[in-house]
Amino acid sequence: MSISPENELENLEGNHACAVAAIAAGCRFYAGYPITPSSEIAERMALELPKVDGTFIQMEDEIGSMGAVVGASIGGVKAMTATSGPGFSLKQENLGFAAATEIPCVIINVMRGGPSTGMPTRPAQGDVMQARWGTHGDHPIIVLTPCSVKEIYEQTIRAFDLSETLRVPVVVLFDETIGHLIETIDLSQTNNRKLVERKWASGPQEGFQPYAMTEDSIPPMPRPGDGYRTHITGLHHGESGFPTQDPGQVERFIQRILGKLDQHRQQVESYEAFECEDAELLVVAYGITARAAKRAVKQARAKKIKAGLFRPITLWPFPETVFCSLAKGTKAVLVPEMNAGQLNLEIERHCSDSTRVIPINRFDGEPIAPGQIFEKIQELVSK
Amino acid sequence: MKEFEIRFSGSGGQGLILVTRILATALISQGLKIAQSQSYEPTSRGGLSRSDLVVSVETADYPLATALDYLLILDELAIGVSDDIIGKGCLIVVDSERVSSKPKGKYKVHSLPLTSIAQKLGSKRVANLVALGALAGLGGFCDQDTLEKATRHHAPKGFLDLNLDALRAGFELSETLPPSQISNK
Repeated sequence: MSISPENELENLEGNHACAVAAIAAGCRFYAGYPITPSSEIAERMALELPKVDGTFIQMEDEIGSMGAVVGASIGGVKAMTATSGPGFSLKQENLGFAAATEIPCVIINVMRGGPSTGMPTRPAQGDVMQARWGTHGDHPIIVLTPCSVKEIYEQTIRAFDLSETLRVPVVVLFDETIGHLIETIDLSQTNNRKLVERKWASGPQEGFQPYAMTEDSIPPMPRPGDGYRTHITGLHHGESGFPTQDPGQVERFIQRILGKLDQHRQQVESYEAFECEDAELLVVAYGITARAAKRAVKQARAKKIKAGLFRPITLWPFPETVFCSLAKGTKAVLVPEMNAGQLNLEIERHCSDSTRVIPINRFDGEPIAPGQIFEKIQELVSK
Repeated sequence: MKEFEIRFSGSGGQGLILVTRILATALISQGLKIAQSQSYEPTSRGGLSRSDLVVSVETADYPLATALDYLLILDELAIGVSDDIIGKGCLIVVDSERVSSKPKGKYKVHSLPLTSIAQKLGSKRVANLVALGALAGLGGFCDQDTLEKATRHHAPKGFLDLNLDALRAGFELSETLPPSQISNK
C-alpha cells in the first residue's frame, strides 16, 4: 500500500511476504495451527486463499495440519503449512511420510527460542539440525533459509518450485526477527512469473507404475481423476507403490530418493559469497545473523582486514563443494549462530583439517549484533 | 536525505508501533527504504514496548538499530533500555509528565508535556502523534504534509481528526523550542 503515485514500494512484514509469495507460487491449500511467531502467515493465508478459490483450514493441531497438507497435495493441489519449534516437532512424523512417499509440500518454520515452549516472542536459530534430521530414517529434505523480507518472498516461491519438481518436502526456515521484520520491497517486478508445475503422469494407464525408475529419478505423479491406478504407503515400496521387503527393491528405492537431490544439486544449491575471493577470515552465517555478519565484514574490509561472508541460502543439502573451496587457505572460519552450535558441526566436518573453526553462539533471545562478530574478527587479526 | 535510525519507546498500548508505521509509510513515499522491528511483552497493555526504524537509501545491510539518531521515551519504563545504542548527538524527546529522569550523555534532550497536550486535544492516547510531530519538527527527517498523508492512511477511521490535530500540535510545539543543544550532563 503506497501513498505515493511515484513508486510501488511497499512496507511488508516477513511473515506476510511468505503468505503472499505462497499464493503467487500457486499454493491453494493451507492447513495449520497458529503459533507465535508464525501466526501472521496463517492470518494472511486465511485472507488471501478465499480470493483465489483456495482452501484454508485451521486444524485441531499440528499433526492434523501436516496430514491435511500431505492429503491435499496427493489430491493435486500445491499445499503449505507454517509453524514454530513446538509445532515443527509435532509435524515430523507426517513430514517423514511425505519424504518417503515423495509428496510435494512446503513447511514454514519461524524459529523461536527452544527447547520446548521456550521463548515464543524471541528469535533463535535452534532448529537447524531438526530441520535436517527431525524425522526418523534416512530421508531427503531441502531446507531454505532466507535473510530478508525480499528473500522470504523469493525463497518461498522457490520452495514450491523445488518441492513440486523434485517431489520432496521443502522447509523454509527463518528466525523470529526476520519473520516479524518489516522491510520496504518492490513487488511490481515479481508479478509476471510462470507457475512451475509438477511432472504429471501421462501415457497408458495399463501397467502404470507410480514409483517407476526414471532417468531423472523423479517418477511422474498421477493426477487424481486421470484414471491411473496408484498406491501410496509409508512402508518401503517398489515401483508398483505396494509394500515390499525385497532387499533389492528396498535398496533401489532408498538409493533413488536419497540420490535425487545429489542428481539435481545444481538446481537445489544456492548461496551468497560476499568478499570471499581473497578472504583469510571467512564468516559463515544465515538468517538475521548473516545480516549482522555482512555489516561486520564490511567494517573489517574498511580496516583492510581480509574478511568474507559465505551465506548458505540452501542450508540442506549444504552447498559443501563451493564452501570447501572457499574455506581452503583461510586462517579461520567463524560460525555465528543463535544456538549453542549446530551449523558449526557441519562446518567442522568439512574443513576442520585445513583451517580453524570458531563458533560464536548466543541463545539468550537476542540477535547477534554486528559488533560482536567484528570484535571477534579483530581479535583474531591481532593474535 | 540522510540515513538514520529512530526508536519509539514506552509502554504497551501507547501506540508506538502505529506511529512507527505512519512514519515508515511517509518515508517510503519519498523513495527511502525502511526496516521496522519491534519488541513487546505478551500483554495487551503495559510492559516495555519499543519500535525501531532503520532508514536508508538502499536496503540496509543490518536491519536492526545499532546507533540511534532519534529517540522517544514516552514512559519511565523505557528509561535505560536503549542506553547501549544511543548514537552520538542523538535527539531525544521525553514526556515530561511520565518520565522523571533524562538520559545522561552528549545528547540533545527535550522534555516536553506531550501527554497533557494530547489530553487538551481530547485524549491522552494521542500523545504518540504529538510526539511524532515534535520529533519530526525538531529533527527535520520528514515534513508535515507527508506525515499527514500517512496518518490519513493509517489512523482508525473515527479518530482521524484527533490524530491529525495531535500531529499538528507536535509540529507547532517544535517551532516554539530553541534550537537543539547538546547537554553535557
